[in-house]
Amino acid sequence: MSEPRQQPGTGQPDLEERGAARTRKRALKRLQSLLPEHCLLTRPAALKPYETDGLTAIRERPWVVALPETEAMLAGVIQICREEGIAVVPRGAGTGLSGGARPLADGVLLGLSKLDRILEIDLSNRAARVQPGVRNLAISEAVAEHGLYYAPDPSSQIACSIGGNVAENSGGVHCLKYGLTVHNILGLTVLTFAGDRLEIGGPGNDPECLDLLALYCGSEGLLGVVTEVWVRLLPVPPERRVLLGAFPAVAGAADAVAAIIRSGLVPAGLEMMDRLAVQAAEAFVHAGYPSDAEAVLLCELDGVAEEVAADARLVERVFRDFGASAVQTAETTEEQARLWLGRKAAFPAVGRLAPDYYCMDGTIPRARLAEVLARVSVLSERYGLAVANVFHAGDGNLHPLILYDANRPGELEQAEAFGAEILDLCVAVGGTVTGEHGVGVEKLGPMCGQFSEAELNQFFRLKAAFDPRGLLNPGKAIPTLTRCAEVGGMHVHGGRLPFPNLERF
Amino acid sequence: MQTSLPEAFTATGEGRRAEAILRSCVHCGFCNATCPTYQLLGDELDGPRGRIYLIKDMLEQERVDPVAVQHLDRCLTCRSCETTCPSGVAYGELVEIGRNYQEARQPRGLIERLQRRWLLSVVPYPRVFARWAALGRLAGPFLPRRLRKQLPARPVRRPPPEEVANPVRIVLLLDGCAQRLSTPEVNDSLVELLAALGIRTLRVPEAGCCGALALHLGAASQARTAMASVLDSLSAHLEEVDAVISTASGCGVTLKDYGRLLADERESAAQAAAFADKVMDVGELLASLDARWRRALPVERIAVHVPCTLQHGQRRGDLPAKLLEQAGYSLVPVADGHLCCGSAGSYAVLQPELAERLGENKVAALTNGEPELIVTANVGCQVHLGALTKVPVRHWIELLAPEPG
Amino acid sequence: MTDRSDALTEAVQNARTAGQRVLIMGSGSKRFLTRADTDPGDRILSTEEHTGIEDYRKDELVVTVRSGTPLRTLRQVLGREGQMLAFEPPEFQGLGTVGGAVAAGLPGPGRPWRGSVRDSVLGVEMINGYGERLVFGGQVMKNVAGFDVSRLQSGAFGIFGVLLRVSLKVIPVPQTERSCVLALDREAAHQWMIRMSALPVPITAACWLDGQLHVRLSGAEPAVVRAARHVGGEQSADDGFWTALRDQTLPFFRSIGVACRYVPPAAALLDTDELIDWNGARRWTQRSPDQVPAGYRRFGPGYARDRCRDAGGNRAVAEYQHRLKQAFDPDSLFNAELTDADVAA
Repeated sequence: MSEPRQQPGTGQPDLEERGAARTRKRALKRLQSLLPEHCLLTRPAALKPYETDGLTAIRERPWVVALPETEAMLAGVIQICREEGIAVVPRGAGTGLSGGARPLADGVLLGLSKLDRILEIDLSNRAARVQPGVRNLAISEAVAEHGLYYAPDPSSQIACSIGGNVAENSGGVHCLKYGLTVHNILGLTVLTFAGDRLEIGGPGNDPECLDLLALYCGSEGLLGVVTEVWVRLLPVPPERRVLLGAFPAVAGAADAVAAIIRSGLVPAGLEMMDRLAVQAAEAFVHAGYPSDAEAVLLCELDGVAEEVAADARLVERVFRDFGASAVQTAETTEEQARLWLGRKAAFPAVGRLAPDYYCMDGTIPRARLAEVLARVSVLSERYGLAVANVFHAGDGNLHPLILYDANRPGELEQAEAFGAEILDLCVAVGGTVTGEHGVGVEKLGPMCGQFSEAELNQFFRLKAAFDPRGLLNPGKAIPTLTRCAEVGGMHVHGGRLPFPNLERF
Repeated sequence: MQTSLPEAFTATGEGRRAEAILRSCVHCGFCNATCPTYQLLGDELDGPRGRIYLIKDMLEQERVDPVAVQHLDRCLTCRSCETTCPSGVAYGELVEIGRNYQEARQPRGLIERLQRRWLLSVVPYPRVFARWAALGRLAGPFLPRRLRKQLPARPVRRPPPEEVANPVRIVLLLDGCAQRLSTPEVNDSLVELLAALGIRTLRVPEAGCCGALALHLGAASQARTAMASVLDSLSAHLEEVDAVISTASGCGVTLKDYGRLLADERESAAQAAAFADKVMDVGELLASLDARWRRALPVERIAVHVPCTLQHGQRRGDLPAKLLEQAGYSLVPVADGHLCCGSAGSYAVLQPELAERLGENKVAALTNGEPELIVTANVGCQVHLGALTKVPVRHWIELLAPEPG
Repeated sequence: MTDRSDALTEAVQNARTAGQRVLIMGSGSKRFLTRADTDPGDRILSTEEHTGIEDYRKDELVVTVRSGTPLRTLRQVLGREGQMLAFEPPEFQGLGTVGGAVAAGLPGPGRPWRGSVRDSVLGVEMINGYGERLVFGGQVMKNVAGFDVSRLQSGAFGIFGVLLRVSLKVIPVPQTERSCVLALDREAAHQWMIRMSALPVPITAACWLDGQLHVRLSGAEPAVVRAARHVGGEQSADDGFWTALRDQTLPFFRSIGVACRYVPPAAALLDTDELIDWNGARRWTQRSPDQVPAGYRRFGPGYARDRCRDAGGNRAVAEYQHRLKQAFDPDSLFNAELTDADVAA
């Protein structure tokens, strides 16, 4: 099985370069006649700020940036690029943490931020139809007056767009109970690179086709460009309560998490932050986070009043049983909002502790939490780089933030090596290299450890079914076999190597 | 974020600040979500994160590209992004550095130069401004509607109340520049209000513009001159007053920042810092008093527009609503209260299209709850919004009266 | 409890070499949905002996099961630990395997609240048309590494390959469950459903049939008790109706034939909507195979084919489904009767 080519063209360099230059000139002319001036950026100075997304360690200046204002313009850009053989990289709000929107020097960066309208709110079916550039939080804000909301709330929900959420299958702090993006969208309209407009699902529950909806969720913009999304809206629960437990040891907090899940309770959110992360968050929100605790657990309960009260008693007891030194309850909306604001802003707030951070996103079985954290802390000492831990404890999704200073030579490389070790560890204990941030370009290496050659080839064939020439967001999400050979990543399939005692399936 | 600024630049005070601010940004993009221009335009270059990148690139390459000028010009300096930023990036300060850098190196076209020079030589000088305004009123019928509505009406002044004997406090009230012409009734009514509370108000007409306008336009030296002149004319009174008050939050935010802005001035740095410590927004003064409030005007439903300089600049955006509610008004809900109305100092003049779109959105949000009156806390917003809606726009302190006893 | 993975892989490889098409089958309980009217005579590849629960981590809310494991067995094991499958798969004729449940993608009465089959799928191991054993997804709740091939298997009726194992998310059995029956006409029942769906009430099923609205409430005791008072009607703790609805043992389904349509829950009623399920999102009608009204799909032979080959009539999507099939199974080894034009419908 030969692997589909990721970049177009190999051949005589001179001839090819001249041909490519001619093509680009022609394509540019066509793009200029399609798009108004303010929707097509070509000056180097204007392209520069688009060279990176939320992961600044990875940068490349795009050839041009197209910012279509209508679906017709968007389709036009795709058509021109298809006909001219030019690669396209879709981009939402540029908040991604895996470099999924990293541009290509010879490709069009297709920004969807101008497509930011809520097209329809269908109250009787509790659904809304929105354009891809609509911000996640803007949906909940728009329907708040009807007592409804859109459940998935990634920490960047204030800024990230729904199109990007679909591409990454974003989770959030409430996905323990309410699920990921895939569980909360009802339909999609997608433009494939071949120019087909696929309408999948809608405000009803089941699409009458294969589950392309789920396939598109988390496909990182490789299978098509989302032009419309039907999202599911939920009634706002009548009662919410947030409990904060301060623990003198990380292990105690981790065990408390397992105990809560074991009890049969499904909290709306269950989050952990360690001492460094708490410090950073507190400096931003002044929510009264305890600064002396080694770990803080935030547990949100929602439902009807009696249920919430009973659950809160149970959670408090578990917190205390596992050594919590203090338990606070936030009952007012403002107090809760402040606590969540601190948690959701914890990543960037860590920017107060160091000029740069490298954010990991591995997921592990909950039961291994304490063990993995202990191991991360050993690695932290070995690399001499501090780690702030922020994570969705309830679903085992870890976000160790490796602090470094990009201005110090070599430190980024150190951080990357450290990060790779953490991800290997996650796979080894039966987890995955990315829970919600996506592979992008950043985790291509670690992917080699998680998937076999046959599995990677299956991914390539799947990609080719939608985009045979591999021009839509090429080089992302799935590592080429060549790359895997280069990084020398050892595939640990079946847990037989290099951790023989660990089972994966 | 990684930076590689030229050493010659990082050797300067400004360069060190720029580097520290740039490095505190982690490029998360949260700021774009609350940036008024990004929300309108949907282009990375028109949001704070993109502008930070443009500034970084400009400082690193030591080259001022027209793209950077255009997009920094479009920034309102509302500093909504600073409220949103979890990393604590001092965006306003960085933009100031960026603008000064541009103005010092990049010659603008003739028309832009004239426009800016005109603004800087007219608006901060009440007497000059008054003459232009009179001229403008004469030329009224020939001016575009939008500009016509923004012209200050002929001022109606009220006689000052009798001087308060045995005052409980003495405050110095700055009349500013444009405000003196556009809405002199605001300060007049404040003087009456304070007198009723036993507070004596000192006014120093020779104190002119605080320098905010020049700062906005990247005219560093003119800003410094204005600040020095304000300090000069007030220095004699500083000892005797408890506080320095402004009813224009746009001036207040600058006055409070004198310590930082003049930190490099060998002679006046200490004086500037002492002065800045005494500056209070009028809301802070009123909230600190042990007074009970009642309604001064016979209206019920009001909509509050909190100026950016009060909520994002001074971080005291809560005050107007708090006191107005105490006085018994009912406040209609206003969506997107964090967004700028588009006035933003000279912005309404220099970026009329964007300013108008922002203003229209703001008016729509403010009037959605059908208020009888709109109130705000800054002269610029008051005039700008007033030109866009039939609902009267007043300064919020005009609605307060102290409960007797 | 036997692991037949190797034997099944070998069988696929042999079939591939021999150019022999195969029909993947578990217990055969859903064969009535996949069967072409004329039997193509393909060889049956049975997963029925590939049984066993390989890994059950109740603290993690995850179970990993071999595809031939009977649903009934899995239900019992989970039930003993106070857990259950959120998607309530049907046991037609009392049969059904886990692999079949995932492949058919048919959720039970709780669909609008507890999600579809794919919402519970966390990972699969499968054999594709190249005879390769592939693992996708995993045993953790969140996983976005690579394309979501595991959820794609749900509802694909095996056209992409043989499922060997699936990892499923499980949920705690609710503390209390109560059913209410209200006497309401069809229109009023539908309006009731629409109204309630906007409110935070712990409903987990709602179905109208023969002048009666059946409502199921689940959750913490106090919440259910309060909601039951609010809903009213005749109340019981018996879940017999819901099991019968799930497994289609109600008299309604034992007629000449049934057809259904999937619609937005608030979509206008048709006279032919005789049973309203899923809070309005699925409507059933009793019809003989040759009299299925427009907009409905016969719940019988052709059902799976319509979905897998024709995308319910959506031609653009159908084209990509075809390409996807090619990507997994280029020789069309698996269940060709559902995808190939040359197999008569």
